[in-house]
Amino acid sequence: MKGEFEVVHGAFDFLQPQEQWDCNHIVFSSSAPNNVSVNALPRPMIDSQSNATEKFEVSEWMDHVARQFSETAATTNSFQTESAVSTAENFMLHTLGDCRPQKTARRHYGINGNGNVGEIQWNGQQTNSIYEGSRVMNRLDEHGLNLLTLLLECAVAISVENLSEAHRMVLELTQMASPYGPSCAERVVAYFSMAMSSRIMNSWLGICTPLINHKSVHGAFQFFNNISPFIKFAHFTSNQAILEAFHQRDRVHIIDLDIMQGLQWPALFHILATRIEGPPHVRMTGMGSSMELLVETGKQLSQFAKRLGLSFEFHPIAKKFGDNEVSNMVQIRRGETVAVHWLQHSLYDATGPDWKTMRLLQQLSPRVITLVEQDITPGGSFLDRFVGTLHYYSTIFDSLGASLSIDDPTRYRVEHGLLYREINNMLAIGGPTRSGEEKFNHWRSELARNCFVQVPMSSNSMAQAQLILNMFPPTHGYSLIQGDGTLKLGWKDTSLYTASSWTSHASV
Amino acid sequence: MVNLLSMHNNINEPQTSHTSSSRSSESSNPLEAKKWASKILRDCAKAISGNDSSKINHLLWMLNELASPYGDCDQKLASHFLQALFCKAFESGNQCYKTLTSVVERSHSFESSRKVILKFQEVSPWTTFGHVASNGAILEALEGETKLHILDISNTFCTQWPTLLEALATKSDETPHLKLTVVVTLGMARSIMKEIGQRMEKFARLMGVPFEFHVVIGSLRLGELTREELGVQEDEAIAVNCVGALQRISVEERDEVVRMLHALKPKVVTVVEEEADFTSSRNDFVKCFEECLRFYTLYFEMLEECFVPTSNERLMLERECSRSIIRVLACEGGDGVGEESERRERGIQWCEKLKKSFTPVRYSDDVVDDVKALLKRYRAGWSLPPAQAEDTGLYLTWKEEPVVWASAWKP
Repeated sequence: MKGEFEVVHGAFDFLQPQEQWDCNHIVFSSSAPNNVSVNALPRPMIDSQSNATEKFEVSEWMDHVARQFSETAATTNSFQTESAVSTAENFMLHTLGDCRPQKTARRHYGINGNGNVGEIQWNGQQTNSIYEGSRVMNRLDEHGLNLLTLLLECAVAISVENLSEAHRMVLELTQMASPYGPSCAERVVAYFSMAMSSRIMNSWLGICTPLINHKSVHGAFQFFNNISPFIKFAHFTSNQAILEAFHQRDRVHIIDLDIMQGLQWPALFHILATRIEGPPHVRMTGMGSSMELLVETGKQLSQFAKRLGLSFEFHPIAKKFGDNEVSNMVQIRRGETVAVHWLQHSLYDATGPDWKTMRLLQQLSPRVITLVEQDITPGGSFLDRFVGTLHYYSTIFDSLGASLSIDDPTRYRVEHGLLYREINNMLAIGGPTRSGEEKFNHWRSELARNCFVQVPMSSNSMAQAQLILNMFPPTHGYSLIQGDGTLKLGWKDTSLYTASSWTSHASV
Repeated sequence: MVNLLSMHNNINEPQTSHTSSSRSSESSNPLEAKKWASKILRDCAKAISGNDSSKINHLLWMLNELASPYGDCDQKLASHFLQALFCKAFESGNQCYKTLTSVVERSHSFESSRKVILKFQEVSPWTTFGHVASNGAILEALEGETKLHILDISNTFCTQWPTLLEALATKSDETPHLKLTVVVTLGMARSIMKEIGQRMEKFARLMGVPFEFHVVIGSLRLGELTREELGVQEDEAIAVNCVGALQRISVEERDEVVRMLHALKPKVVTVVEEEADFTSSRNDFVKCFEECLRFYTLYFEMLEECFVPTSNERLMLERECSRSIIRVLACEGGDGVGEESERRERGIQWCEKLKKSFTPVRYSDDVVDDVKALLKRYRAGWSLPPAQAEDTGLYLTWKEEPVVWASAWKP
């Protein structure tokens, strides 16, 4: 497979700086700009095994909620009412209202469009989207729906800092939802309510620093890699882009910003070792939190490289990429081609302050940066983050539930050991004294703004992605989309991971 | 604080390496790595008792980060005991307990409760041990009687009785008439008991045993129950079956209840209780905490071994424990008269109370054989140690630890 990396000045689409992605539009809309080729996998005929489409898809319900929420938030802001409380109240009324016993309509007073104090007129869409959503959900899972509704109410309580009410609701939720049940909605609620319980407790204690068991998390990550295509998608599309960037270069250096067990690299080593122009000398800088684990990873990779006859050096750095000393510790040798790889996750803060990370990236001027982002934003208000996180993870839970049995032990390990940890971390962000650093919403936009040029993912990368999807039934649930130079993998209508690659001006 | 930091480090650094060559280099203190929860929990309990607020906060935070009710044993113990410690530190135990029990009352159904009990009986002899011993003692004590009346003071959903009914049905002589009066001490829904009653009646009909079923609901003042309220009649041979019942009586009332039972003039009283003491230390928080932790560690480990990891039934049982732990450790008051209790006592302690009005009855060899046969049906780990001369009753042990105590008494 020849990877051609077109380094022709201005020959690739020089994209305009990305418009600020609307973080509430989590649904990947089909109204994409013209130059996008929507290349979703053809959906096969419904066969007897695809009862996935019959099941209650939590993510579908969350689509309605998320959309309704963003509209509510937008309308609220435009009238400049007290933002947090009003958004919450309106969310409750308009989005959740139909699910609870009929109340008399509440009137909201504030400054209306004419600048006068009066009753606020909401724009047309009075029909409650939950109701609409409920029609969709009629088939099944009233229990799950009730739990989700209570969960959302609880999130609203937290967002307005009514902790004792939130705590009471969380106590109820934790008694009613099971993470082992047949209903994905119930599983999602079980983990979310524990995460909220944890957050409430942290709020009461006034402490919020994370304690991570890295070894356990790495193990869960590996299981996720086995039962779901998302990680492999990230690995193989990035590997392809790196391979293309390394075309005809004989000394290469890969910097992995959070290498964990280095699952990604053996496949790349294999291709590098057998490429037509002969193998390069490979240096790898692996970053992570524990030196002991990094050394172990390095050992494994060295052994593998040796078996392939690949000349290999490994440098562990037990620091975050954005830490101060790192720029001195990362050694770039003259003449070597640098690739920086970053597979983002929400388990913990892997890189430290974003602006420092950006600065170091600029300093390093790598030939290629392969970036895989989760389509979820860490910023915004608690409720923003909550709705987004709930949508995102319920989609992943749905995707697991579609192919794995209820009591599959690997599924449990992934849900509990990985997804729950991410949910916990996401909801705790912005809690008292959690790392107060500002996080970029979308790295793609920031890279574009900071002297990096996007290199569109090639058709070979796309082919890699399709091959991977074929390994994972039921393929008709996953959606693979190529657009804006990126590759996106998601489940049904929700995009979950976006892979992109970049180069610095200096290296072009 | 030093050992806390090293504890922190122990958790974050891997205890074992991946490669085979370093398998021998396990952490020098593998026990510490494996059972991290008990150390932090104990330290926290002591800090609460000593009112060391910065230490309390630090330890609660650690537990909060590491705990999970859906993880391994340590994570579960951390999670459930964290709830109790938190409630204790912030004096919210009563409120919390109230919320939890009201949710349970609303959401439990006959089907769900029954599923949990039956599954538990399938994978563990924890409850069936007491049933077999008690049924054996009851049948022997009521031998030759024609009008039997069993007062069942328990929350076992009548799962004990089918085997007894079968035994009655297969006796060579005339099948006696059986009246079963269930005294329910929990806030059990009327609908659940109705369902149970119907099933029992149906089963008895099938067995060909003349049968009557009654329920006495919601009476916590066991000590004040009269013969009339219980429907006890002169010509009946009475057996009183107390399974996990005595622990629910408030501590102040226990002697009174024993006297009440005596006044019923039963032929036999069977008592089954879990082997733990949450009573004598009830004014010493740390001591009570240690005993709680000891008992529930055993129980959770047993549950982990007996059930599959993704078992909903086990989850229900664990949640029940969670509520009990909060009740025992974090609720103020509740030991007074009329309050439902969770304060278990050991066999020896119950003996002291019961001996005031009753004499112990040794289980016959047949009954002991039945119990042994029962244990053989389960996984290894369960045993019945030979009864010592001074012992009253039988002890079920799991991994050499006594966990359940069964005994029989006559006036």
